[in-house]
Amino acid sequence: MTTLNHPAGRPSVLHIFKVYYPDLFGGTLSVIRDICAGLQDSFAAAVLVCSKSGARRHIVVNDVAVERVPSFGDVLSLPAAPTYPWRLWRRIAEHDLLALHAPFPLADLVFALGLGRTRPLVVHWHADIISHAALRFLIEPMMRRTLRRAAAIIVSNPVLIENTPLLREFADKCHVVPFGVDVAKYDRPAVQSGDVNARGRLVLACGRLVPYKGFDVLVRAAHGRNFEVWIVGEGREHDHLEQLIRDYGLQDRVRLLGSVPESERVKLMRIADIFVMPSITNAETFGLVQLEAMAAGRPVINTALDTGVPHVARHGLEAITVPPGDPTALAEAIENLIDDPERRRRMGQAARHRAMTKYSTTAFKEGVETVYRKVVAEQAAAKDANSPAPASRPQTAGLFGAIQIAAALAWSDMRHRYVRSLLGPFWMSIQMAIMVAVLGSVIGHFSNAGAVARLPMLAASLTAWTFLNSVVLDATTALQGSASLIKDRALPPVIFLLQCTFRQALFALHNATVPLILWLALTPKDISGALAAIPGLALFVTCTLAMSLVLGALATRYRDIKPIIESSLTLMFLSSPIIWTPEMIDRGSTVMRLNPLTHLFAIWRDPLATGHVATTSVVYVLACLAVLVVASLVTVSQLRKAAFWI
Amino acid sequence: MVSIHLRDVCLDYPLYGAYDFSLKRRLLGRLFRQTGEMRTIRAVDNISIEATAGARIGLAGPNGSGKSTLLRLIAGVFPQTRGEVRIAGDIVPLLGLSAGANLDFVAADNISLLLRISGRKATPAILDEIWAFTELEERMQRLPLRMFSSGMLMRVLFATATAFPADILLLDEWLSVVDENFSAKAETRLQKMVETAAIVIIASHDHALLRRTCTSIINLDHGRIASTVSLDAPAPHHFELREKRA
Repeated sequence: MTTLNHPAGRPSVLHIFKVYYPDLFGGTLSVIRDICAGLQDSFAAAVLVCSKSGARRHIVVNDVAVERVPSFGDVLSLPAAPTYPWRLWRRIAEHDLLALHAPFPLADLVFALGLGRTRPLVVHWHADIISHAALRFLIEPMMRRTLRRAAAIIVSNPVLIENTPLLREFADKCHVVPFGVDVAKYDRPAVQSGDVNARGRLVLACGRLVPYKGFDVLVRAAHGRNFEVWIVGEGREHDHLEQLIRDYGLQDRVRLLGSVPESERVKLMRIADIFVMPSITNAETFGLVQLEAMAAGRPVINTALDTGVPHVARHGLEAITVPPGDPTALAEAIENLIDDPERRRRMGQAARHRAMTKYSTTAFKEGVETVYRKVVAEQAAAKDANSPAPASRPQTAGLFGAIQIAAALAWSDMRHRYVRSLLGPFWMSIQMAIMVAVLGSVIGHFSNAGAVARLPMLAASLTAWTFLNSVVLDATTALQGSASLIKDRALPPVIFLLQCTFRQALFALHNATVPLILWLALTPKDISGALAAIPGLALFVTCTLAMSLVLGALATRYRDIKPIIESSLTLMFLSSPIIWTPEMIDRGSTVMRLNPLTHLFAIWRDPLATGHVATTSVVYVLACLAVLVVASLVTVSQLRKAAFWI
Repeated sequence: MVSIHLRDVCLDYPLYGAYDFSLKRRLLGRLFRQTGEMRTIRAVDNISIEATAGARIGLAGPNGSGKSTLLRLIAGVFPQTRGEVRIAGDIVPLLGLSAGANLDFVAADNISLLLRISGRKATPAILDEIWAFTELEERMQRLPLRMFSSGMLMRVLFATATAFPADILLLDEWLSVVDENFSAKAETRLQKMVETAAIVIIASHDHALLRRTCTSIINLDHGRIASTVSLDAPAPHHFELREKRA
């Protein structure tokens, strides 16, 4: 399988991020755009992002195909796009290389689940998670799994590896590729080296108006001084900043320009006297925008963060570095530069020189391309080495693998049940409908209450009972039926017991159409009752699963148990309130109260009917479940010997 | 990395008679103080095997000498009664060829299912490659396996079982299934598989075959190692897997 998914020509790379043009502008986006454009000769790029605009899903931006998964907005700085992981998983197979622009926990979710192992992954580490640090304990294990699975990690500055504990764990796969800037774009028609306004007092800052950018510090710094501040960018802090400007009475000197087209921004960079990047947290890892200012030959004032920021424009050479979040120090640095045009000229020249020599777009492009090529080549080599296999490891080990196999077997069981039936899925539902109709009419004669009103509950109970009954019956023969797989293919026996529950759950879903239709047609729709029934239903399924494990193993070890189970099930069916309801007989009957099935049905049926459930039922079921769980654990440990029994 | 480590391993195989499967009998037997002891046979007796990457081990011995049981023990089917078993690497046990095939399913579904069982995902490309190896007509992919002749069935199952390489390959009398017309191709494939697997253990009655394929042969008798013969590395040019049916 050496030629798997290798289209003739360029390998394709999928860029994974939360948002893309035209929904937003910003540093990370321009990096992705530059990678797509710069590498277009050697890699075919595609982008998968979220968008809350609700506009077209598939668009083309700068010759790059962009798929935008709909999102409902941002929750905790993350797009709420429930289908994104699904789309990502589906898209992975179409590409030769995955480029994840971290941090993006929605994508980490996919990689943490172990999906998409077949394609190599490169992580572009743009920043650590700084906001919502309280939720870090949830996200960090996922990020670690993603990084462990990654073939290479690209960072913009070596300082990041030292200062980020998570990256230090994977230091051996980190590659430092500094971002690049196209200096030529900032050339003026005639660049004069002495291009400094002697009385200049225009301070420029650029960036999304979000808290970590620290623009409020800049506004505070302007208070009581005489320089002008122009802030370019849009974002959720806009109102807050405007309020702040009004509060300090700085409307005449401090202006929020909103977002401006790139060509305009270049012009602004050229006419500004000083560029300030007042970012206050390590979310600012590099500061692409300060690099643009450097390319435009502007002196920079940045902040002493633990990231690449003070290393891109260095204190005393191209920049003045001030402590983050300190308006006084910032204001003094600005005034120092304003008062010293010669220093501004010197620093501007040094900045442009550094941008040109150390941060060229060519170096960036080549750096990324080298990593991409290496990763793709390694993958191809790994494929060749153990041809004809893909490099992925088979997943048979562990509980997760067992569940996967059981699910695959159950799915195939269900599909093949339809093979020779014309009606397909509906055959089962029709059987269920007939059973409900017949039993319903019979029960109708027992009680004087309306038989029709009882039908939805009767159908639901029958569906649940059919599920429980078939799972347990299937489990008693499952191991013997799969003897060859257990003994010759060494599959863990527990798979085949799980398979029973999975298969019957799929069948039950078909049957469930009958109660669902009846419920929609015959009862006032009370969603809250249905929601309240869900935990009970989950308990019901869990109990069934545990029961199938225990009884399945027992019936395999002791063959005389199977007939006992069969007759007990019939007895249970008749003695439990399944086709009849507790109201039809004396509710206080001892047999009724002791019968666990009464309670197992009550915990989801009562919420459906009345909206609440008796505490005794819940306690009873939980106690049964505890016993069953202990028994299941014992069973699973004993199942090691199952191969002897079959 | 890949290694098999067995130390002083014993396996008592319980012999369940018709009555031993009955809970009723068991309970009653205990009640009347009948012999509660389960009859067992020591199928693997004090065996120690060390194998690292590159080992090709042949298991020889008469019927009932414990070859298959030992293979199943290594594959993790049977738990050892005593001793220490440590395995590193993915095991692909090919102890029975038709294991898992469902004759009512169409061929393509069987292939995907068999691949899923071994933890692989069946993509159309993999399916096509497996089918190409069988040299059967394309449209037969959509036919149920029960319509296949035994030779055709063999091709499909063989191609599927050997589609992926293994770290540790366990083969039980397996090379004998190769049918005449298909054999040249199957030979190369098996040879390749044996070459790429880090450790191969083959149980067979055919000494000539073991001598050609293995670096050492373990002779088993009544679950014990009777003798171990070290061989030089097999000469790949004389590799021939066709076995006469005994």
